Amino acid sequence: MLRWLPLALIAFVALGLRTRDLATRPMHADEANQAVKTGELLDSGHYTYDPRDHHGPTLYYAAAALARLRGERSLAELTETTVRLVPAFFGTAAVILIAALVAGANLPATGSPRWPALAAALFLAVSPPAVYYSRYFVQETLLATFTLAAFVCGQRWWRTGLTRWAVAGGACVGLMQATKASAPLFLLAGVLSLWITRSGLRPATRRPGRDAVAALLAASATAAVLFSSFGTNPSGLRDALAAYVHAAQRFGTDAAPTGHEKPWWYYLRIFGWYREGGLLWYEAPFSLLAIGGMLAAFRGPSRFLRGVAVYAIATTLAFSLFAYKTPWHTVDLVPAFAILAAVALAALTQGRAGRLVAGVAATVVIATLLQQTWRSSFTRPADWRNPFAYVHSSADVLKYRPLAEAALARQPAGPIRIISEEYWPLPWYLRGLPNVGFWSTAPEECDGALIVASAAQAEAVRARLRRKYSETFLGLRPGFVCMIFTPEP
Amino acid sequence: MNIRHLTLLFSAVALATGASAADGKVPLKVEYPKPLFAGTPRPISLANLEPAGTKRPVIMVSADTKLLSKGKKVTSSDSLPVIGELSFITDGDKTGIDGAYVELGPNTQWVQVDLGASAKVAAVAVWHFHSQARVYHDVIVQISDDPEFKKGVTTIFNNDDDNSSKLGKGSDKSYVETNNGRVFDAKGTAGRYVRLYSNGNTSDELNHYCEIEVFGTAK
Repeated sequence: MLRWLPLALIAFVALGLRTRDLATRPMHADEANQAVKTGELLDSGHYTYDPRDHHGPTLYYAAAALARLRGERSLAELTETTVRLVPAFFGTAAVILIAALVAGANLPATGSPRWPALAAALFLAVSPPAVYYSRYFVQETLLATFTLAAFVCGQRWWRTGLTRWAVAGGACVGLMQATKASAPLFLLAGVLSLWITRSGLRPATRRPGRDAVAALLAASATAAVLFSSFGTNPSGLRDALAAYVHAAQRFGTDAAPTGHEKPWWYYLRIFGWYREGGLLWYEAPFSLLAIGGMLAAFRGPSRFLRGVAVYAIATTLAFSLFAYKTPWHTVDLVPAFAILAAVALAALTQGRAGRLVAGVAATVVIATLLQQTWRSSFTRPADWRNPFAYVHSSADVLKYRPLAEAALARQPAGPIRIISEEYWPLPWYLRGLPNVGFWSTAPEECDGALIVASAAQAEAVRARLRRKYSETFLGLRPGFVCMIFTPEP
Repeated sequence: MNIRHLTLLFSAVALATGASAADGKVPLKVEYPKPLFAGTPRPISLANLEPAGTKRPVIMVSADTKLLSKGKKVTSSDSLPVIGELSFITDGDKTGIDGAYVELGPNTQWVQVDLGASAKVAAVAVWHFHSQARVYHDVIVQISDDPEFKKGVTTIFNNDDDNSSKLGKGSDKSYVETNNGRVFDAKGTAGRYVRLYSNGNTSDELNHYCEIEVFGTAK
């Protein structure tokens, strides 16, 4: 029992960091969008995969199940805490899975075989991007967790030769695919690592072909069940493939810029250090340890560690070379970096006074990670300078609902008009209120109980108002200001 | 319940439900557009400059009016700002670049410039933060000879339209911050201290100042 205590403590820390004050940060536009989609699933009992504007179904089904467990049965009842608990639980599971992956690798010459696994788990538990996006209702943490689960199953299958591990691994791959269309990238990186580091070796099974077919069937069946909305929407299977056609149109060479293009060193900067608006952001101590671990992995005898190093390089290169970049992809890089950082600690213990040096290094890295996690997730979670709060909604979005409720109390028939080329996350904050409409340009009739117009639409709206209104401003996100028109008595 | 009672009951219900139909009016049911789903919003990275040719407000002052606030002592409700120093507010640097502004905590915060002696204040100019389009909430500008601002307080600007800062409701218009800042006409109000309040902004809950300039004449 005591054997599991350190990992249980680390998992407890991970869960605490991931679930504390989940409702405080304003909803990001993407979170709100997906929460409304979840609410529609609760309201209608049905979900249809949308390959154009949304990722796969796992997030919505998981959130809807959790919402029902918490007694929330409609969009109006759904809360921020409920939807964010989904990535929080998966993010905690990832911490346990990474320990299982490293512990299953039989790393040589590390003293106790368990502590590198615990070190990797601890690094992931307190990692700033891992914590931030485990509190953020998007798919990335689920994808990272399913990927780790697939690798754990694959590792167990390789060592034991048991078909059930192949089936379990296949199911995890199906979940990866049903989470985000970028899943094949991680599988390719995994296959590349395997090919480079294990060529000439064979798994424990005598029938790898049969197990591969079983894994493929499990992956296909799992993905098919989810994409087809449990068999009620067969065209979801076709749409799952259509997602790649849409992606090619969106990111192809002839496509218009998405607005999310960034330089190749974008992710390296997040893992390095930089100053933005007077605030210092850094993960350099952790990254230096991971680089040291990478060097140790290539020089050492462990094929597993070399595989992790190849995987880390392949995924970092792929994300860095692709022009479209968003900070939540850092979540996919952290597990490999955490394992390599743990390896570096193991290597440090080999020298003179090694344990002392490793202890100091571990303390510095964990302290700096915790400091950055605290700043990014708790003290400045929506700050425009926070590298993870990407085009984040400003705190002003919390003021729209009280304004709308007051307007409907004065004028129950409404309407509340949101007239803006961008309006997310307002549909989330105005959920359940009657007589609310959304327009991207000014309609002929603009009068209402409350009118929210973007700065770009404000002149056109003002020109069409027949009643007298007072005017003030509220923000949607940094740099995006809305004008609020309230009827004068 | 016999047949007669039932008939009476049905008649009453019919009368009640028929009442609204009788005057020919029913609640209007309007279908309003539902929100459209959209992808991740794009970052906005445009400098928030006043469009070329924008007319700046002209405030007429006496010929001997001069800048009284340069290098003067500044105090604040947030005495230990996380970013910047209170002295930045009167150091003459209004560029707004990193290292040239002070960031105060969330909720209503104030800064106060001590002119050193009572003066006839002609105008107060403020640059909160202008590298991004944003509007500061509850901007209130007051002048007084009392450093505590408990007596003899004159408010020369107040856009707190819902009294959320609990200093009285104001009717002045909010404005978008630009490189031109904002100049408030103090109309010769006498006082040694100038205090400016704000309550977060449309981008975040924090309060910022690049520079405050107080113009006037010695009394």
